[in-house]
Amino acid sequence: MPENQQPRIGVYICHCGGNISGAVQCESVAKALKGLPNVTITRTDESMCSDAGQSLIEKDIQELGINRVVVGACAPMLHEQTFRGAVTRAGLNPFLYHHVGLREQDSWVHGHDKTAATDKALRLMSAGVAKARLLQPLDPIRLGAEKHALVIGGGVAGLRAALDIARQGLRVTLIEKSPFLGGRMAQLETVFPTEEEARALLHDLIQKVTAHPNVTIFMGAEVMGVSGYVGNFTIQVKQHSRGVSDDNAEALMSACTQEVPDPFNYGLTKRKVIYRPYEGCYSSTPAVDWDHYDGRPFDVNGWPIELKDEPKSFELNVGAVVVATGFDPYTPPQGEYGFGELPQVVTLPQLIRHLALSKDGKSLQWNGRAVRDVALIHCVGSRQVDGVHQPQEDGQVNNYCSRVCCTASLHMTADLHKRYPELNIYDLHQDIRTYGRGHEEYYRHALEDGVRFLRYNGEEVPEVSPAPQGDSHPVLVKVKDMLTYGEEIEIPVDLVVLAVGFMPRDLHGLDKMLKISRGNDRFLLEVHPKLRPVETAVKGVILAGSAQGPMNIQESLSAASAAAAKVASLLGRGKVELPPFVAAVDVEKCNGTGACVEACVYEGAIALQTFNENGEEVKRAVITPANCVGCGACVAVCPNNAVNVQGWTLAQYEAMVEAIGMDLPAMTEVTA
Amino acid sequence: MDDLHMDALVIGGGIAGMQSALDLGDQGFQVALVERDPSIGGRMITLSKVFPTLDCCSCITTPKMSAVAHHPNIHLYTYCEIQSVQEHGAGFDVSILQKPRYVDISKCTGCRECEYECPITVPSPFDRNLGAYRAIRVPFSTAVPQKAVLDPEYCLWCGKCEQKCPVEAIDFSQQPETFTIEADSIIMATGFDLTPVSTKKEYGAGKLHNVIDPLMMERFLAPTGPYGRVLRPGDGKEPGSIAYVQCAGSRDETLGITYCSRVCCMYAIKQAMLLNGALPMADITIYYMDIRTFGKGYEQFYQNAKAMGVNFVRGKVASIREDADQNPILKVEMTDTGEIVEQTFDLVVLSQGIVPASHPTVSLPLGSDGFISVPAPDSAPCVTGRPGIFVTGTAAGPMDIVDSIVSASAAAAEASAYIRENGSRLEVEKEALYA
Ligand SMILES: Cc1cc2nc3c(=O)[nH]c(=O)nc-3n(C[C@H](O)[C@H](O)[C@H](O)COP(=O)(O)OP(=O)(O)OC[C@H]3O[C@@H](n4cnc5c(N)ncnc54)[C@H](O)[C@@H]3O)c2cc1C
Ligand SMILES: Cc1cc2nc3c(=O)[nH]c(=O)nc-3n(C[C@H](O)[C@H](O)[C@H](O)COP(=O)(O)OP(=O)(O)OC[C@H]3O[C@@H](n4cnc5c(N)ncnc54)[C@H](O)[C@@H]3O)c2cc1C
Ligand code: SF4
Repeated sequence: MPENQQPRIGVYICHCGGNISGAVQCESVAKALKGLPNVTITRTDESMCSDAGQSLIEKDIQELGINRVVVGACAPMLHEQTFRGAVTRAGLNPFLYHHVGLREQDSWVHGHDKTAATDKALRLMSAGVAKARLLQPLDPIRLGAEKHALVIGGGVAGLRAALDIARQGLRVTLIEKSPFLGGRMAQLETVFPTEEEARALLHDLIQKVTAHPNVTIFMGAEVMGVSGYVGNFTIQVKQHSRGVSDDNAEALMSACTQEVPDPFNYGLTKRKVIYRPYEGCYSSTPAVDWDHYDGRPFDVNGWPIELKDEPKSFELNVGAVVVATGFDPYTPPQGEYGFGELPQVVTLPQLIRHLALSKDGKSLQWNGRAVRDVALIHCVGSRQVDGVHQPQEDGQVNNYCSRVCCTASLHMTADLHKRYPELNIYDLHQDIRTYGRGHEEYYRHALEDGVRFLRYNGEEVPEVSPAPQGDSHPVLVKVKDMLTYGEEIEIPVDLVVLAVGFMPRDLHGLDKMLKISRGNDRFLLEVHPKLRPVETAVKGVILAGSAQGPMNIQESLSAASAAAAKVASLLGRGKVELPPFVAAVDVEKCNGTGACVEACVYEGAIALQTFNENGEEVKRAVITPANCVGCGACVAVCPNNAVNVQGWTLAQYEAMVEAIGMDLPAMTEVTA
Repeated sequence: MDDLHMDALVIGGGIAGMQSALDLGDQGFQVALVERDPSIGGRMITLSKVFPTLDCCSCITTPKMSAVAHHPNIHLYTYCEIQSVQEHGAGFDVSILQKPRYVDISKCTGCRECEYECPITVPSPFDRNLGAYRAIRVPFSTAVPQKAVLDPEYCLWCGKCEQKCPVEAIDFSQQPETFTIEADSIIMATGFDLTPVSTKKEYGAGKLHNVIDPLMMERFLAPTGPYGRVLRPGDGKEPGSIAYVQCAGSRDETLGITYCSRVCCMYAIKQAMLLNGALPMADITIYYMDIRTFGKGYEQFYQNAKAMGVNFVRGKVASIREDADQNPILKVEMTDTGEIVEQTFDLVVLSQGIVPASHPTVSLPLGSDGFISVPAPDSAPCVTGRPGIFVTGTAAGPMDIVDSIVSASAAAAEASAYIRENGSRLEVEKEALYA
């Protein structure tokens, strides 16, 4: 085994295409490191992570007998795995590799001071070398994986993810919080860009999902707790009662008199507390709206029948979790563009529902009046500007673009024009972002249809106010229009439509249970926005659809299928590998104080066990690697230094600290 | 070469094709990746830094290339052309032409001795012909595979490389070879080209000295670029003022390209930010109709660029000509004032859009925009009009890298489901694998 011989360390410094070499004199650092004990070779390269760069390492291992490797490059998050791979290919244990972050930790932050950056690089690298001398081969923790995934959310993304996971030959359980499947898409009518019926598309998808033998669905269900790790998550689920069955549903529904605003129609209509959101919904069995049901018994043929929610709790064992919890449309605060104050101000999702409920006729009716002129305002709740817009609870405005609303708006104007050709439509936007395949066509049609486009600046948003008494129209919209060279234009209208953006749903702690981070925009955060767009920082927890950021249906579908591909790669073999950076106890040193067990917050990670030592009963700490996260809390409290995190031992830390503080003889020369 | 059986065949080794291949390979499927160029990497490997993270492009592309090259289930066929695709049960027989490299890749170590010896200098398409390389060369420093290729168009057959090669890999007698791969499914990842502006006379039809395309600017800005700095191709001077003409060749009825190319707003903003770093004194102006920064984090990126001092001017560039010193002069209809103004710049970048790359001989229905048709985007965004053939990345319309990667994984999921549902020829092995 080469690893047990004297350390022969190979040291490699990456220019990172100028990212590092722009601030750090890589060649000088390499030269200075050459003199360190056990360093057999130092090299620099334009791009160590390239195939050519990796081959350098492989060749040195094979030809020079290098048995420890240190690379100074970008952040370990990006390329530690890459180099461990190269080391493995050359026949060395992958954990005889140490990665030094010279870019994020050095060149990017000290670019203004090249001498200091070079000095720091040298110290970081020399610490890396010091650690490398003490590296020992390690084996990853290999565990069986459940070939079963959980999908949370039964909108179009969750449904598609479930279907595609099932099609990869894995079992899948889908949990939907509401008693019905379909999510926001069910609230749409025809959809861009295909002009297909949203609910018909959903119906097809739901049929495929429910027909698939690998799929189990729980509606009216929520996740209450999560434990475990990739391959072996345990999920606590609570499922509410439906409250009615197919046998008694019709009788109970007609007996029910309690009505509440219907969220399916965004409060435009009312519905009973025993309900189906729409005809043709899945499941077709109605459900009780427990959040609103006042608990009074129903009178069915003279019999008082009281309904009770008797939630069931159960556990699921799954190997991976796909989060597809979707979005909420932005709700403007009272008074933004007259919303909540003027009855003539509605949101785009509301107008979609209103049109679905409206009969065809000569004119669009709103509030009992014919609408002759309508103004549509873009970017409501999106692309907000600090100081101009009211911030959300976290003090931040929504400074992102919601990407769907422009095309959804022009899709709406097309629909309005088709149904009510006499209607005058004003479209107030900043930029028209019809970016997708088949989207620009809606913009062109809107121009042909005579939609009047006005353009405002983000800092000077339009004003919506009640028109003076006696005006022909109830509402006045004022806008400084950049298409007419900044002219102040007043538009009297009967209806104002706010193209509201996307907001992430309130997840009631689900994100914390799963340890998913959120971005500045509050949407769920992917681990790398470019390279790993559907994975999170937690292995085995994957994102799908608009929970991650605004997306249209097509994009939600693609993200969902991509999530399924990731699940299949993780679980398809029925095994997972976890990194070996977990605590390990030196039984020689342990005398069973139990301080470590007290310090550990992870269930089942460390425990005292009784052993027989020379006929004497002794207690010793024992680690269960699968439950240990390697946080090191136990290491810090052990009075005997008997615990170490493998791959990051106390001895290694000490060597690194010592090296980092030491001036190398060559250093003065290098950084002078 | 022998006939080969594969679960999937991916055509095109850009970021989309590589990601599809990796996702299928990771699931245990046998994948052939066929690339027409001598190296995989596609357009992405030629870029400088990527929006919105400003990661150095080679830093995030080369590891993918390397992962593909080392993957036990991925079989790489570079410098190959697809000749025909024939249905075979639920799968296909794909006939492939291996173009001669005149280098035996089983021997070549990529040491580049041949390249150093070769007397012929030729323009390098990797550098958008701004730089030069030799008639025999490793295509670029991070190419995968790291194998030399000889360009017969320029070679004088002087034989110097053959004498110099330490492993006797040069083989002038190589001939094109045809072989067949049987594949259960196909993924099209053939990517894009820039919209041609040769017919856009108003913009100089590609003849003005200091009017460049955006991929050239990527090479100017790339640390591995031909000059390591930004200069005017006309005279090598450092530009003090640079203009971007947005929608040059997109949303343009006169060119018959009416769609939005999706990436040009963002790459122009990215380049403007990078130029701000490379040429701190330069004035940068972006002329646009709409700024479409719709992706995650993109609007914020745009606002940052504004705060950095990049000028965003709403205006339609009507025409470009040049003065006696070859300085481009833009004639702009200013949207915000209605005026028509003329403005002279040192350098102009045409933010050209995206058109499909030439397609291999796979007959597939195309959309009216020329990209491979996706008949049901709202239910199956990667499924083409031909069963068993899927599409990903910019072959299915303009998209950026992150959208290409998502679509690539989605195409992999579709393909793997198709392979399972239609009885793979390798069923026996697969069962063993999943047991
Ligand atoms: C006004 C408007 C018009 C639109 N028009 C179009 C169009 O024409 N074409 C188009 O392509 N796109 C359109 N869209 C976009 C489209 O609505 C979305 O792309 C799509 O609905 C996103 O689906 P999803 O599954 O990601 O999220 P959702 O539809 O929000 O589904 C999420 C699901 O998860 C459930 N859930 C949430 N939290 C939990 C939890 N904790 N536990 C369990 N379940 C949970 C929810 O109940 C819901 O069923 C439009 C959007 C808007 C706002
Ligand atoms: C100037 C510019 C700057 C950009 N900057 C960014 C950026 O910063 N961030 C970002 O996210 N996006 C950016 N993009 C977009 C990005 O380049 C694309 O999203 C991405 O490269 C698309 O990858 P692809 O795999 O679909 O296509 P390609 O990269 O074009 O790859 C296609 C591959 O298929 C091969 N091929 C083609 N036809 C055949 C055939 N018949 N047989 C075999 N092989 C074939 C090609 O040789 C090529 O290798 C930019 C685009 C441009 C034009
Ligand atoms: S998609 Fe259009 S309306 Fe929506 S936030 Fe973006 S620019 Fe504004």
